[in-house]
This record gives sequence, structure tokens and C-alpha cells, in this order.
Amino acid sequence: MTVASEEASGLGQAGASGAAFEGWWQRSASRIGVPTLLATAVLCLLPNLVIYLQYGAFPGWDAAFAAWGMVLANFGAFYLVEPISYYPVLGLAGSYMSFLAGNIANMRLPCSAVAQEVVGVEPNTPEAEIVAVLGIAGSIVTNMLFLALAALGGYGLLQHVPATIQAGFRSYAGPAIFGAVFGQFALRYPKLAAFALLIAVSLKCGSGFRINDAVVVVASVFGTIVIGRVLYVRQRSSKAATTTQA
Amino acid sequence: MSPDVLDAANGPWLWGAAVLMVSVVLLQALLYVRQSLAAARRIGFPRARCYQAFRAGAVSAIGPSLAVAAIMLGMMTVVGAPATWFKLSIIGAAPTSLAAVQFGADACGVKVGSPEYDLNALACSCWAMNISCVGWLLVVVIFARRLESLRRKVSGGDSQWLAVLSGAAMLGAFAALISKNLNPRDGFGGTVAMIVGGVSMVALLKLSDRVTWLGKEYALGLAMLLGMAAAMMI
Repeated sequence: MTVASEEASGLGQAGASGAAFEGWWQRSASRIGVPTLLATAVLCLLPNLVIYLQYGAFPGWDAAFAAWGMVLANFGAFYLVEPISYYPVLGLAGSYMSFLAGNIANMRLPCSAVAQEVVGVEPNTPEAEIVAVLGIAGSIVTNMLFLALAALGGYGLLQHVPATIQAGFRSYAGPAIFGAVFGQFALRYPKLAAFALLIAVSLKCGSGFRINDAVVVVASVFGTIVIGRVLYVRQRSSKAATTTQA
Repeated sequence: MSPDVLDAANGPWLWGAAVLMVSVVLLQALLYVRQSLAAARRIGFPRARCYQAFRAGAVSAIGPSLAVAAIMLGMMTVVGAPATWFKLSIIGAAPTSLAAVQFGADACGVKVGSPEYDLNALACSCWAMNISCVGWLLVVVIFARRLESLRRKVSGGDSQWLAVLSGAAMLGAFAALISKNLNPRDGFGGTVAMIVGGVSMVALLKLSDRVTWLGKEYALGLAMLLGMAAAMMI
């Protein structure tokens, strides 16, 4: 690590520079994130406005609210669960970026993690936050490029890709990515990985796959955090003589 | 879909809306890049490593982006290219969005893709699809700062513990995702994909420690392809 990063690293650094940097970073992140997310929330209604203004089509408020109700019933829990669960990993800027661009589990989280691995930063330092944000930004640019290609050239592309490969992407790319990211972090925290799997798999299988996904995420994330805390404290107290407190 | 629905689904104003939405996403990314570079200047973090980070993010996103593009092609046949492009550029993954399209159709009492699926049904589907995004957007806007203070409080200023905490959160989140794909009723392809993906990733990361020209940023895409290939072979 460079001298500069050693001076500045550690979110809990007592020095004014650490806290001042954090304050500036959070303020900048919010100044960018809040307007762009709010603008998007408004823009979300644009397709509907277009269809209404151009074709006069609107299903009526009864149907609209019925559809909304179904969406809320099925996905409402995730509106709360996902931000809370992903926040510790994404941080403030990362969250604003990821919850705007989407594809969090299959792209933002993995790419942020890979970027930090490639550059080789200590987790949860200002350097790591910078690298994470840049990694996410890189993933957004690539993603937008491919989406644009698919949108503009889509049907033409479809002819050249065999149906089996398309189906393969649809069904197996996600699970493969989840396994890959899990593997990456299992390398670093093998015991935690084992516990995390134990919690999630036993909940899912034990309930015969009937349990609500949101419940599994909450239990798995917070359960693993709790176990992580226990193991961390135990490890710290057994190294009490040589522990260096930030 | 009836011809006028297809026409509406591919109208120029909808394309315009999609382009506008994509621009907002890219603009935000650009602003955050600028913030990061300014931050790097402040703490003396080398510019070269910033580029390395961006490149790593961009390259490692190729594999997952192919997957999203493939899903997008499928969704385009349901609601048309511009609406799909609009939707998949922002929060709300394809399965969630497609479910919302279905709910919109259900609320109008029709089936997606049937001749009765008229312009009003398309409007309802778009409404359901897009209103679902607003949930995440508003929650993050309202709670992000609070979550940040919560994270600070829980970490108690101990950055090593914070690293473990985010590692634990990551493992927990992905363990949950893994468990979702283990259902034997869906076949074992998902399970195989996950195992092979995980093992490949570990192997590739360890390999790139020794073989320096094999950058770690390719590991994710390769592991994804290997997982997919294995799943498709069973």
C-alpha cells in the first residue's frame, strides 16, 4: 500500500482528514444520487404518458391499481429487503448507482468485487470505495452498450445465435454468476461461506421450497453477519496481545 | 399481439423515452466517475489504478451483459424493443418485469400475446412494469443516508470488522440466491451451473495469481460460461 493510502485508510480513523473525506464523499454521493434517482422515478411514467398521449390508451384506474397491487404483493418486500441487505457491501454511492442501473446481484456486486480484487485494495477503505464506484461505473457502461446493441440490432442477432445457446444464457447464466461470486468470497471467508449456505439451504429445503425468498435473504444476510461478528470477536480476543486497533 | 399494439410498442416516442432513460443512467455513472477521480486526487490514489478499476469493472461485466442481452431479446417479443430497453436499463430485472407485464394483462382480464391484448392492456403492462421500479428508487432515496449511519454505528469505527461485515453480507445474499436455484423441480442444471461456476471462479482466481497475463477481470465471464456449458451438457 502506498504511504498516502496508509494515512487515509480506515473509516474509523480518528484524524480530521479521514472524517472530513468521508463527509465530503457522502455529501457528493447524495448530491448526485438523489436527483438522478428521483428523476428516474418520474421518467418511469414516461412510457405510459407516451402511450396515452399518442394512442389515447389507458386501462382505467381500477385496472392500474389492481396491477400495482399485484406488483406490490409479490415484490414489495424486496423494495425494503434488497437495499438493506446490499447496503453494507455497496455503500452509499454504490447503492445509488446500483439501485438506479439494476442488475445488482448478477453484475454490480460481482464487478465491484472483481474491480477491488484486480486493483488490490483493502476492503472498506476510501481506496476501496473509489475502486468499487469505478468498477460499478465500468460495468454500467458495458451493460448499456450491450443493451443498446440488443435493442437496435436485436432481431438480426437472434438469427445467428442457436436457440439452445439463448436458452442456456436465460436459464444458467444467473446461477453460474451467483456461484462464481459466492466462490470468490468463500475463498476469503470459508467458514462464513459454510454458515451462509447452511442457513439459506436449510431454510429453503426444510420448507420444501415454499418459504418466501425475502425471508431467506434477510435470515441469510443477517444470520451470517451475526456469525461473522461472533467469529471476529473470538479471533480478536485470542490475538489480544498483537491486535492493532484502528 | 395485434398490429396496432406492435406499432405502439415500437413507436418513435417510446424509442425516445428509452434513449432518455439510458442517458440518465450513463450521466449518473459519469458523475460518479468524476467524483471518484476527484476523491483519488484528494487522497493521493494513483490515476492509473483508477483506470484499472474502471477497466476491470467494464471487462468483468461483458459476460453478465451477454446474459442480460440474451434475456432482453426474449422480453422484446413480449413488449417490444423500446419498452424492454427502457426497462432493463434500470432497476427491476427481467423476470420481475415480465411478471409485472403479466399482472398488467391480468388486471385487464387478458392474456399476454393473445389477440385481446390491446393497447389498453399494453398500457397497463407498461404501468405495472414501471411502477415497480419506483419502489426501489424511493426506498433508496429515503433510507440511504440512514442506512449509512446504521452501517457506521454497527461497524463502531472498526474498519476490519466492517470488511468482515460486508463479506458476511455478500455471502449471505449470494447463499440466498444459490438456495433459490436448488429446487430439483426446476431440474439440476441450475445446481450444476452454480457449482461449476463457483469452482471455476476459485480456480481462475488462483490461476491468475500465478499466470499474470490472465487478468482477474476475465474470471467472472469465463466462470459464467463454464457454469453454463456444464449445465447445458447434463
